[in-house]
Amino acid sequence: MTVTTSPERDSHTNHGILRSTSDGMPAVEVRGLRKTYGPLVAVDGVSFAVEAGEIFGILGGNGAGKTTAIECVQGLRRADAGLIRVFGHHNGDRRHLSGLVGSQLQSSALPERLRVGEAIDLFAAPGAIATPDLLDEWGLTDHRRSAFGDLSGGLQQRVFIALALLNRPRVVFFDELTQGLDPLARRDVWNAIEAVRDQGTTVVLVTHFMDEAEALCDRLAVFDRGRIVAAGTPAEIIASQPTTATITFTANRAALLHLDRLLGVSAVHRDGDVVTVTGEATMVAHVCAALVADGEPAPPDLRITQPNLEDAVVAIEGAHR
Amino acid sequence: MTTTTPTLATAPAAPSLVAGLGRLLWTEIKLVLREPVVLIFVFAFPAMTVLILGGVFGPNDPSFEGIDPSQWFVAAYIGVVIATTGLIMLPVHIAGYRHAGITRRFRVSRFPTWALPLTQFLLGLVMAAIGVIVLMVVAHFSYGIPPIENPTGTAAGAVLGALAFISIGVLLGSILPTPRSAQGLGMLMFFPSFLLGGGGPPPDAMGPAMRTLSSWTPLTHVIRSIQEPWLDLDTPTTHLAVTTGLLAASTAGWIVVARRDQT
Repeated sequence: MTVTTSPERDSHTNHGILRSTSDGMPAVEVRGLRKTYGPLVAVDGVSFAVEAGEIFGILGGNGAGKTTAIECVQGLRRADAGLIRVFGHHNGDRRHLSGLVGSQLQSSALPERLRVGEAIDLFAAPGAIATPDLLDEWGLTDHRRSAFGDLSGGLQQRVFIALALLNRPRVVFFDELTQGLDPLARRDVWNAIEAVRDQGTTVVLVTHFMDEAEALCDRLAVFDRGRIVAAGTPAEIIASQPTTATITFTANRAALLHLDRLLGVSAVHRDGDVVTVTGEATMVAHVCAALVADGEPAPPDLRITQPNLEDAVVAIEGAHR
Repeated sequence: MTTTTPTLATAPAAPSLVAGLGRLLWTEIKLVLREPVVLIFVFAFPAMTVLILGGVFGPNDPSFEGIDPSQWFVAAYIGVVIATTGLIMLPVHIAGYRHAGITRRFRVSRFPTWALPLTQFLLGLVMAAIGVIVLMVVAHFSYGIPPIENPTGTAAGAVLGALAFISIGVLLGSILPTPRSAQGLGMLMFFPSFLLGGGGPPPDAMGPAMRTLSSWTPLTHVIRSIQEPWLDLDTPTTHLAVTTGLLAASTAGWIVVARRDQT
């Protein structure tokens, strides 16, 4: 694939996310990527780099352009403009790219009557992980002879993870991997993704689940309407927004009135015995310390609501509209 | 001062096209054989129909160019097997792969780019060959297999016809959006072709309008390319030329579509 590049003009969308690995070469480098479908601009000049060995999240709502961007990176779609490299190779270099990249696509499947063991054998290239080892590693040994169509959603995703990792890729793309899974299966898949990263494989995780991105990603880029509107570690993105923490507990002590003088507290509200304290995230420690310092028993129903990634992303996206 | 240039990561070797094709073809054959509906239509339908039609007409019916009707139909039904494979089985199979995202799964695998379309082409040939064997077994135990007057010409007609209709099947499967649309269009193309092309009444039993329509039906040319040398009716020069044209056009069509899908 030949794409033109003019990364400098798109520097406004970088958000400081063009970073390199220690040897100077990112696992994935995207500069000025643009993709349109007729009049619709799906990806509008985005730039980012994924470091080797990290879980990099691409976060955003439906239609934000994240899947289009990642499919351009994998050579499944032709970009209108931009530079894309995977471990230094141009993404049109399919011969090298297919050996370096493992993929789980958002909209892909296997033949319903294909058995799990057959699928692994079929897609194995020279040097691939041995089928029994791979099946064992991903808890699929007992399902070796099961047809793909007979598996539960969670097991099907396990098969896709196994296939994505079968040929020992250097970077693996997971696109909406946990869509439609029950909470237990989702946690299972999260553990699997972390295990992949811990084995040294770079992971690019496309998701619209904020909790998933916050729990798993070392760094992430937030897409909105084809652009990157925020980037960094989850903590950096949360800290970038003036979001509010809340503490709620039951107490009938008059001395609690002094809480509004503590650092970071913006308001103390009392409704009968129920006290609600709001303020900056840093006020939590001061309030808790004050409650204990009172010498009274600590309230047993104390609940702290800290600002999370979802609050921050909602605020960021709201500011861009 | 020493400077270092980053070394590009190298990928392990990909499987060769031949090795990939062999493995994929074997898997595809197993998958198709696990699909009973496909087996019924490609293998059982031509065999059952030839059994019925071979016995409907009397042995001296004048509409069959002086040939015993059962022998006339057995020779014709090689073409019907080819048509069921090319117009129904393959388009539904390939469109189903595209619709479900299985084709995309292959595009991100280490298979060579052309492995999947080539395998589907070979799969069609294998399934047609199995269908012909089933048909011959049924014919052998019912009406008998007619003597082949010109084996080379018959083989050439059968191979060329199979290549042409399998190619049409790959093309249809590559451009139709869903397996349901492929099935609908495939049936719409198959039954008129089947009835007018030699699987139903012989041309001599048709009126002038139907006979003209029959001469425009691609399957007519495939069936006549097989029937004429087999039963020593004529030299099928025109039929072979038309079949070759069909092969060239349909092959060019699916190669263009496959190249478009891969970029």
